[in-house]
Amino acid sequence: MRLEVGTFPVSDLAFGRETRYERGRLEVNREAALAAVREDPRIATAALEIARPGESVRIWPVRDVIEPRVKVEGPGICYPGICGRDIATVGQGRTHRLSGLGVVEVSSVNWHDAGGDYVETYLDMSGPYGEMYPYARLLNLCLVVEPDAALGEESKNYAVHGAALAVADHLAAAVRGLEPPEREVFELRPVDPALPKVVYIWGVHSPQAMSGSPTAFCTTTYGLTQLTPPWLLHPNEVIDGALTGPYRTAFAMSWTVANNPLFLDLCRRHGRDWNFLGVIVLRTEWTTQTEKQLIANQTAKLAGMLGAGGAVVTWDAGGNEFIEVVRTIQACERLGIKTVFLTSEDDATDGAPTMLEPLPEADAIVSTSFFKNATLGVAEAPAVERVIGLERKAVHRGSRVGLHAGPDGTLPTAGPLPPPWRYDDHYGFGSLSCIE
Amino acid sequence: MISAIYQFALTTGANRVIRGARIEHVCGDPGLGPEKDYAFGMRIVTTALHALTAPVAGPTLFDPMASGKEAEHAP
Amino acid sequence: MADPLRVVHYVNQFFAGIGGEEHADVGVSRREGAVGPGRLLEKALGKDARVVATLVCGDNAMNDRGDEALAAVGAHLADLQPDVVVAGPAFGSGRYGLACAAVCGAAQAAGIPAVTAMHPDNPGVAMGRRDVFIVPTGESATGMQAALERLAPLAWRLGRGEALGPAETEGYVPQGRRRVHDRERPGYQRALDMLVAKLHGRPVVSEVPYRAPERVAPAPPLGDLSRARIAMVTTGGLVRKGNPDRQVSANAARYHRHSVSELESLTPEGWEAYHAGYFNHIVNANPNYILPLSFLRDLERQGRIGAVHEHIYALPGVSTPVAAAVGLGRSIAEDLRLAQVDGCLLVAT
Repeated sequence: MRLEVGTFPVSDLAFGRETRYERGRLEVNREAALAAVREDPRIATAALEIARPGESVRIWPVRDVIEPRVKVEGPGICYPGICGRDIATVGQGRTHRLSGLGVVEVSSVNWHDAGGDYVETYLDMSGPYGEMYPYARLLNLCLVVEPDAALGEESKNYAVHGAALAVADHLAAAVRGLEPPEREVFELRPVDPALPKVVYIWGVHSPQAMSGSPTAFCTTTYGLTQLTPPWLLHPNEVIDGALTGPYRTAFAMSWTVANNPLFLDLCRRHGRDWNFLGVIVLRTEWTTQTEKQLIANQTAKLAGMLGAGGAVVTWDAGGNEFIEVVRTIQACERLGIKTVFLTSEDDATDGAPTMLEPLPEADAIVSTSFFKNATLGVAEAPAVERVIGLERKAVHRGSRVGLHAGPDGTLPTAGPLPPPWRYDDHYGFGSLSCIE
Repeated sequence: MISAIYQFALTTGANRVIRGARIEHVCGDPGLGPEKDYAFGMRIVTTALHALTAPVAGPTLFDPMASGKEAEHAP
Repeated sequence: MADPLRVVHYVNQFFAGIGGEEHADVGVSRREGAVGPGRLLEKALGKDARVVATLVCGDNAMNDRGDEALAAVGAHLADLQPDVVVAGPAFGSGRYGLACAAVCGAAQAAGIPAVTAMHPDNPGVAMGRRDVFIVPTGESATGMQAALERLAPLAWRLGRGEALGPAETEGYVPQGRRRVHDRERPGYQRALDMLVAKLHGRPVVSEVPYRAPERVAPAPPLGDLSRARIAMVTTGGLVRKGNPDRQVSANAARYHRHSVSELESLTPEGWEAYHAGYFNHIVNANPNYILPLSFLRDLERQGRIGAVHEHIYALPGVSTPVAAAVGLGRSIAEDLRLAQVDGCLLVAT
């Protein structure tokens, strides 16, 4: 499977008469981009705004950030399966991408109606809070979108994400026929057989158990979010977006999945430092011990059958999902597969253990620091000049205001705001860690 | 302690652990219908009460779904 | 030329050459200069350091009559005014390890820096690691030389009044004070560095060292269930319908206590789950799944248990820091103890 990726860096973004890319400048015909969104009868309102790095701008509520990608040659379409898109197997031919650019999905729609699980991410384009996330360095085209209020929660989710993808598709189409300024080939070429064989075990949350629905919206594999046995993906499928879509945290968004630096380095160092065998997607949030252990055993077995001698493991969730992740590590180690686990840590107050279930087999852990902004000591984000999205922000658990969820916990979005309760750098973008 | 994630309860040091059904319905199973659901829940609860009367040296599992001697074992 | 480093060394009766277990009751005594392993310690510290005195105490005397023994140690230290106290190494010897940790603690309380060494599983580590610098060693005294070589540089720096860096870089046992730290290399690169090292069999230092979970002694079994008062606690996020007490759905800082003395069962009209970690709807239809009141009432009627305790305790067990959870648990347990509850069922989701 050979995939050539043509990159079109975006250094300037503006609205204009025509959607076109020229020497780093992306001009967007606002009406043409919105027309694709408004075709969908599920959409009630939609508007586009631009946010640039360094501006005193706050975007709220942020559900997702998407990097526009388009298939130029080869089967299928980018970001397959999600929101009813084509599910042809991707990963071959040529794909064009707009780098340095994000399409931001801004909407009040919540993930689902169970368990008090809210969209909590807001992004700042400047200041210390904004700089904690990769998105403040992107030129962001924000789609502020609301669905028909009569729709069910799940339909609302797919409607607004579909709208954001429609905008991304519209932008990416502008570079479909152009010569890419940068090209890179991704291919798992045959390599020196002496090189160690490695897999990437990529844990992604399933919202099925939380929502009670096998089709609840979340990060998808070819559109599926339900609890499924481990998936083996060719790295090129991931590059074409076979794994995409957001989850609750700011680091679990389509952009972060598409630009996961751990994954990309595993691809790029194939043939030099190791033989990269592929990605095993591990769905998490099974709800019995038996299921968790079964999925751990089967994930390790699959890695073993592929011939892996090493595995890097990440996850994008919290709580009891740790069990299937750490037990996958244990199962790998017991099969002789050497593992490295990249994870955030829980609160260490009073010397508390920061791993939910510490197992001695997890003996090579890279910490991306505490997952809670409160534990990290992240300060309140200062007031901003301009807000994209909603003028008021509900403030939920973990923040200084409105610890109880309720109708009275709202603040002006433009004013000083406590950070969302989670930080959680799932893929090691940053250098923060913990030590004792 | 009644928990569906019982091995985790054992590794983290709970001494009397009773295997529950599932995170979403620890003490029973609505899929069984009202009568069997009640019987299953009662079996979990009585296993838990039995555990309170059992001497244990450390983390020990009491499994309502197992029978006889298999019902108790350390991890 | 600076003055030589003044070291006081603490050893037990065995390493002082007095004898084994049969002499473990011997009280605190003081010898001038280095004794036994103290000579090797002096060598490891180098020519600019001197073991000015060795304090000796039997392990039983230190563990069983600790106040008395530590007071004697304190008096000697006040007299000697060393720059640093070195205790042990104690290796795998549990009572010696506890004694070393206690002596180091007493020295520090008197303003004298201290360091010891022992095996990570030595109970002295569990007791002392939060406050005392402990260098990890092997299980037996055959590792004496290696242990002293690792301990000596720390003794030097502590003795000169330097603050030590993190355990991970200095090599002492982590003290449970994890803090944010910028490693100045992105996490993904560190993970791949670690992968390469592990694949090639090179040693790796985990950024989160394994620590065995704490053990709690099991409560003695109940004698007679039919006379026992049984309570119920749930971490399943049980709240009264509509959440009038405004409990959170995660990161709980408090629990709620409710009376169920008038209730036969938890009904969906009166109760529901508010918990951010699982699908709540099933419990909302039958709250007894997370707090089995209906079952206990039946058993109470049948005389199989003595009584259902009047109060139930509830909170959502999700994202609460362990330290806070420990506090909440202690508070509930204390409440149950005061109410003379005999047994408790904790339902965890």
